[in-house]
Amino acid sequence: MTRVLVPLAILEGESVSTGLPTLLATMDVTVLGYHVLPEQTPPDQARLQYEDRATDALVDLEAAFEAAGGSADHHLVFTHDREQTIDRIADETAADAYAITGTTGPVDRLLVTLTGDVAVDRITAFVTELVGDREIDVTLFLAADDESSGRESLASAATTLSESGIEVETELVVDVPPSEALVDTAAGHDAIVMGERAPSLRSFLFGEEAERVATESVGPVLVVRALEDS
Amino acid sequence: MSDSSSVGGTNIEGESPQLEPTIETDEATITDDAELERTLGLSGGLAIGIGTMIGAGIFVFPGLAAGRAGPAAAGSFAIGALVALLVALPASELATAMPKSGGGYYYISRGLGALAGTVVGLSLWFGLVFATAFYLVGFGYYAVDTLAELGVAVGDGLVIPLALLFGAGFTVLNVTGTENAAKLQNGIVALLLSILAVFLGYGGLDAVGLLGDPSTPEQFAPFGTMPVLTTAALVFTSYLGFAQVATVAGEMKDPGRNLPLAMVGSVLIVGVLYVATIFVATSAFGGDRLAELGETAMVEVGRHYLGAAGAVAIVFGGLLATMSSANASVLSTSRAIYAVSKDALLPRRASRINLRYGTPHVALGMAGGPILALVATGRVEVLAEVASFLHLVMYGLICVALLALRRDEPEWYDPDFRAPGYPVVPILGALASFALIGFMQRTSQLVGIAIMVATAGWYAYYARDVTLKGALQ
Repeated sequence: MTRVLVPLAILEGESVSTGLPTLLATMDVTVLGYHVLPEQTPPDQARLQYEDRATDALVDLEAAFEAAGGSADHHLVFTHDREQTIDRIADETAADAYAITGTTGPVDRLLVTLTGDVAVDRITAFVTELVGDREIDVTLFLAADDESSGRESLASAATTLSESGIEVETELVVDVPPSEALVDTAAGHDAIVMGERAPSLRSFLFGEEAERVATESVGPVLVVRALEDS
Repeated sequence: MSDSSSVGGTNIEGESPQLEPTIETDEATITDDAELERTLGLSGGLAIGIGTMIGAGIFVFPGLAAGRAGPAAAGSFAIGALVALLVALPASELATAMPKSGGGYYYISRGLGALAGTVVGLSLWFGLVFATAFYLVGFGYYAVDTLAELGVAVGDGLVIPLALLFGAGFTVLNVTGTENAAKLQNGIVALLLSILAVFLGYGGLDAVGLLGDPSTPEQFAPFGTMPVLTTAALVFTSYLGFAQVATVAGEMKDPGRNLPLAMVGSVLIVGVLYVATIFVATSAFGGDRLAELGETAMVEVGRHYLGAAGAVAIVFGGLLATMSSANASVLSTSRAIYAVSKDALLPRRASRINLRYGTPHVALGMAGGPILALVATGRVEVLAEVASFLHLVMYGLICVALLALRRDEPEWYDPDFRAPGYPVVPILGALASFALIGFMQRTSQLVGIAIMVATAGWYAYYARDVTLKGALQ
């Protein structure tokens, strides 16, 4: 099974909109409730005070993911360092992707960008699994330096998806800043799938580009992690 | 949150120690329902240790110490380093066996029981409060000197008001500040070490006659050996920081490796720096002159070797160092209070976290209030000695706890690091810690004893029925 990690600042009221559990119904979901503490506060001290409240919220979320048809578990982590915690839990649960939650209703159209450092076949495999036998149309997006090779990789990825019965459109942009073009294309789509940027998720999640894409596109962003083993 | 151990009992308010089984990994502590991320690396641990210690030993004590013992004050600092090292090794072993918040309190309450635990836990709180007050008074002297370097001569009358102002502001910042200052602390320590490397390198070459005019060496121990020992007792406050590393043990990554390295490493690094500093300072001026210059004698030493730039660098370093010492101590204090209150030796509400800032405001207030009261006394030497007294009692008992645990070797006792030289090292560590107390001023000894008696009284009144020995969570 493919596993998606959903990190949430659980005690700050971060939650997921109704569309996300439905979108991830084909996946194993790990909800990561984290709470970041200032350094004056020992994590254990916060745990004693907030553990019950946070666990209640996480159990509810887990139930929401399961009600949508997926399978879910949760981790609750008290930390001084959000990025370190997300990286560690992702490694431990062998998650294939992260979700940056956004607001969405039912997802009908998915924007999948092949721009980046994660192998194209890993992204297409993830999307195939995610869509399953549902009626979700996919737009494949690529920002390339070279038009002909870009067209080629888009076409071969589109073929892979079509073979699994997914409706695919392609969009190629050449010599345009990739993230801006991506955000422009995102209009009309309900969620985005992208590959994580080298060297780590961290630079993606917290880099400028990620923030732009996530904030400007409103909907959830699923970030496929680069394979680390072997 | 149910008790999983036969030990426990309740305090006078009916609260019992919150004991839960945990699994410790190198990256996190895993409890039944939650995980606690370990976020401090080796450099963070060293920064806490060195950052706590360096302010006192280099920027406050040289003048006072040289005035008492002459150039032999270098020997006082060396004795201090030796005692600290004898305790740091056993403490490291215990820390790797029990990598928890609370440090020395935790080992002693688990190794020797609730009475010793209460005395040490509350004494650690007060010890840190005295130490922080001492750092703040040092800060006040440097603040006045900074103004003087800027051409605003305000006189020493403003030392205490400035220290109070800063102490109050500092407590408020700790309650309301949610920025992580840890990276800043690392940067400050790195900057301080660079300043000192240049200063001590140049001053050292000058002092041995390779640069500038050869200095006329003073008699090494003009006042005999006794002042060397009493000075060692005074300046031992410069070595309290390694135990502060243990108070954040629950947040250290790979504790089996990083805790011993951070504790022993920070003692060795500051020990070398202290001895070098005294050597350089006493080569510049005689003991009498340094004593006259008092808390900020190092500024004049800086001026002697490197002119105005040297003075400014030392003033700036002194401000940073005393601030970082105070900061690191306040953080340790709130962890010490939390560890004790979690075990029902203080009311549970002492470790409440406020919702708005996510900070332990009650514990920070319990640190900040007494600190300000003590700063107001302005008694640098007594503050330093009482802080050392209370820490030394804990150090001695840490060594005793190690001996007790090693003799029984309970099933849960499985340290990653085993102190070399057992049983000689912990026995010497305990004896040296208790002996050093004997060389302090009478006032400091009386205050220290009074505090310990009061904490034992608190145990008898409040937490008589709490048992903690062997209660590992």
